[in-house]
Amino acid sequence: MQKDDLIAKNPLRIFAQDGAGKEITQRMGLVMARAGLGKTAILVQIALDNILRGRQVLHVSVGASLEKTKVWYDDILQDIAEGAKLERPQEIRDAVMRNRLIMTFKEAEFTRPKLEERLNDLVYQNVLRPACVVVDGFDFAGAGREAVADIRELMTVMDLQFWFSAVIHREDNRVSAAGVPAPCHEVDDLFDTVMLVNPVTDSPSLSLDVIKDATGCVKPGKALTLDPSTYLVKKA
Amino acid sequence: MSTSLDKVRNIGISAHIDSGKTTLTERILYYTQRIHAIHEVRGKDGVGAKMDSMELERERGITICSAATYCSWKDYAINIIDTPGHVDFTIEVERALRVLDGAVLILCSVGGVQSQSITVNRQMTRYNVPRIAFINKCDRTGANPGRVTAQLREKLQLNAIAIQLPIGLEADMEGIIDLVTMKAVYFDGDNGDVIREEEIPAALKEEADIAREEMLDAVSMFSDELMEAVLEGTPTVEMIRDAIRIGTLKLELTPVMVGSAYKNKGVQLLLNAVGDYLPCPTDVKNIALDLDNKEAEVQVSNQPGDPLVALAFKLEDGRYGQLTYVRTYQGTIKKGETIVNTRTGKKVKVGRLVRMHSDEMEEIDESGSGDIVALFGIDCASGDTFTDGKINYSMSSMHIPAPVISLAVTPVDNKAQGNMSKALNRFTKEDPTFKTFMDEETGETIISGMGELHLDVYIERMKREYGAELKVGAPQVAYRETITQRAEFNYTHKKQTGGSGQYGRVAGFLEPFEGEYEFVDAIVGGTIPREFISACDKGFQKSMPKGALTEAPITGVRVTINDGASHAVDSSDVAFQLAAIGAFREGYLKASPVLMEPIMKVSAEGPTEFQGAIMGSLNQRRGMIIGTSEEGNYTVVDAEVPLSEMFGYSTILRSLTQGKAEFTMEFSVYRQVPKAVAETVIQERLKLKKK
Repeated sequence: MQKDDLIAKNPLRIFAQDGAGKEITQRMGLVMARAGLGKTAILVQIALDNILRGRQVLHVSVGASLEKTKVWYDDILQDIAEGAKLERPQEIRDAVMRNRLIMTFKEAEFTRPKLEERLNDLVYQNVLRPACVVVDGFDFAGAGREAVADIRELMTVMDLQFWFSAVIHREDNRVSAAGVPAPCHEVDDLFDTVMLVNPVTDSPSLSLDVIKDATGCVKPGKALTLDPSTYLVKKA
Repeated sequence: MSTSLDKVRNIGISAHIDSGKTTLTERILYYTQRIHAIHEVRGKDGVGAKMDSMELERERGITICSAATYCSWKDYAINIIDTPGHVDFTIEVERALRVLDGAVLILCSVGGVQSQSITVNRQMTRYNVPRIAFINKCDRTGANPGRVTAQLREKLQLNAIAIQLPIGLEADMEGIIDLVTMKAVYFDGDNGDVIREEEIPAALKEEADIAREEMLDAVSMFSDELMEAVLEGTPTVEMIRDAIRIGTLKLELTPVMVGSAYKNKGVQLLLNAVGDYLPCPTDVKNIALDLDNKEAEVQVSNQPGDPLVALAFKLEDGRYGQLTYVRTYQGTIKKGETIVNTRTGKKVKVGRLVRMHSDEMEEIDESGSGDIVALFGIDCASGDTFTDGKINYSMSSMHIPAPVISLAVTPVDNKAQGNMSKALNRFTKEDPTFKTFMDEETGETIISGMGELHLDVYIERMKREYGAELKVGAPQVAYRETITQRAEFNYTHKKQTGGSGQYGRVAGFLEPFEGEYEFVDAIVGGTIPREFISACDKGFQKSMPKGALTEAPITGVRVTINDGASHAVDSSDVAFQLAAIGAFREGYLKASPVLMEPIMKVSAEGPTEFQGAIMGSLNQRRGMIIGTSEEGNYTVVDAEVPLSEMFGYSTILRSLTQGKAEFTMEFSVYRQVPKAVAETVIQERLKLKKK
């Protein structure tokens, strides 16, 4: 398989265009799951899908080390290369290296002004011009609505896609009217797309359920599946 | 050495540059009464620290050669190797770690876990070296040992547990709380010689109780006895120390201590900890290879009565003549006895045996198992193993990285020529990462090594120690060539006019290969007779050292031969070698050869306000920014940058950041040079060749 086939066959392509075939440039996306169910893996695959489509990605890791984040990419790329029997895997690895930058922050230090400053630095220094920012480890429970609204505003100002991950706690049953669980139940209106990773009853696989999509790319209720051993996204 | 093995400690002191390891070593020597006055690294008295015995080290304030020294503390005999902090001298660190049983990892309480600490930690892990962390410079503005302990966990993935707390920080640092004894320790007197133990100050009692509980939680995992005692509320100091020792030796726990060597605080407690928590020679499993038994792995016994096994880990040619530092793994080296170098098979007589104290020495008659001593006048290379001839063991080989940078050196006159030869002969024996050869075409002597500073230091040493005045060329990157696609060849070497003829035809293909070189014989039907196959292989191998683009060595080629022809009279080894050389030349150009360059893993760190500038400067150097890590006002930018773009970068970085940022780099990988850049490199090489 070659790079172009990989792009065409990627299940996450459903988020690239709206119903009328128009490319989506701005989006606040959210992937929610309980701990250990593959949120980071999904964010990495969203990042890879963007990179393969020629868009640059900033991966923000809040509270995790650079090395750990890099290993996620290496492992997922390895799984993709093996699964798709890629002819020139190094070409894809090089593309990822060139078009991705990882930034790590301590939890208390990740704020919109800081992120905006860093994004401007990247563009000004001609290091990277990201079209997509994935944010892993953002503390929704402690951040408050204003912080998320600030980032949504930044999305508009800089014409970006943002994808966040959030951890759901089993003991917290609060859910928004749209079905978005805590800790994001009170900020769900600030997100265009929300996906939920759910275990499938009587099956080892995991389901990636789209519970909200305001961009018109996907109808809510649509589900993808996750390979439980590799966390690679597949068509349902 | 009369001390029993359980009281011997062979330790290394490793850290990032400027974390204060030489100052700490100086204090250790002072408190163990090996020296009687303290001199600072960049002291006003101009004496310099004891361990920085080379003039150049004193001048630059960094340690280049790891000087070995011996001291005793209470009833422990301690051999210390002070190791360099710069990545370019990594081989020194690696060699030290190979022979040491334990180490002290020093961290700056302000800088925390910096890039070199990560490299050193990786090396310690590679050689299974148990370590204690010592957070130094707690007297400095911005000191934050708690943050450094957290970094040890996050960045180095160590189970770092504080066993001490500072009493005050920065200018207010007064002493240390020992969480094991739950006492406050103060260091009185001009040089902190007088230790005073007091009750923990009331204001810090709660903090100390919490920290002790945390320590007991972690430490009791290594001792059921301690765990029970903790549950019953009766843990003793001995139980806690035993458990810390078990965890440390298993490499599952890193006790964290604090202090300020410069202000004479905490060093004696660190010495106690070296005895309490670091391994003795018998705690460590050392493996040798039995050369008489297909290099089967054998565990050395550490017993002084067993046949001798000793490793020469460092050579020095100082004012006393050639010194060879050895670590004895089993048996005893005695003055006057004959020992055997298992690599060369040569027998050598042990003339003088000394215990080194930086650049002074103490004559001894014998050295027992587990000891580190120096021999005089022994001809050997670094890494050689000595035995008494009864066994034929070799200590496992050390990982040695390949050089990535070279430059031409030309002596100004005949005298300098002779001196340079002597110096190069010594340096290449001492340092396996430093290589030298003569460029056949230009007649220049080329030296190569691990970085600009590495070569810079050797050039300075040639000038200062050997009086060799040299003209130094610009640094050259060690390029390589490789092929990117399969290409066929079918070449006939034919010389059948006059005299004995030569005939050989070789056909097959070249293809990219992940290793260096591979030869595949796919000849069927004897088109090339069997006796000439190895000549073909030889011919192809002869083609590898010089590529057609820039005459750089070729790597990553698999050669398959599948057809050919011979002549009953005119075919010979030489004819097939020449045919293979011709065939390679023919195939190589068709296989889209490309130039490869060394890519360095660069880690630049400085205040956050300069993050953009640092990234920009690396980006301009064809660097690929991997990522950034921000912590407080400090940021680390990790990137991969071609070595050719990094010359002079330290000056640029300093000027960009008002001298507040620094960087380290180490070789990462060879990668293809972009076409436009490759064109320039090829043109420059062509111009040089024409000259």
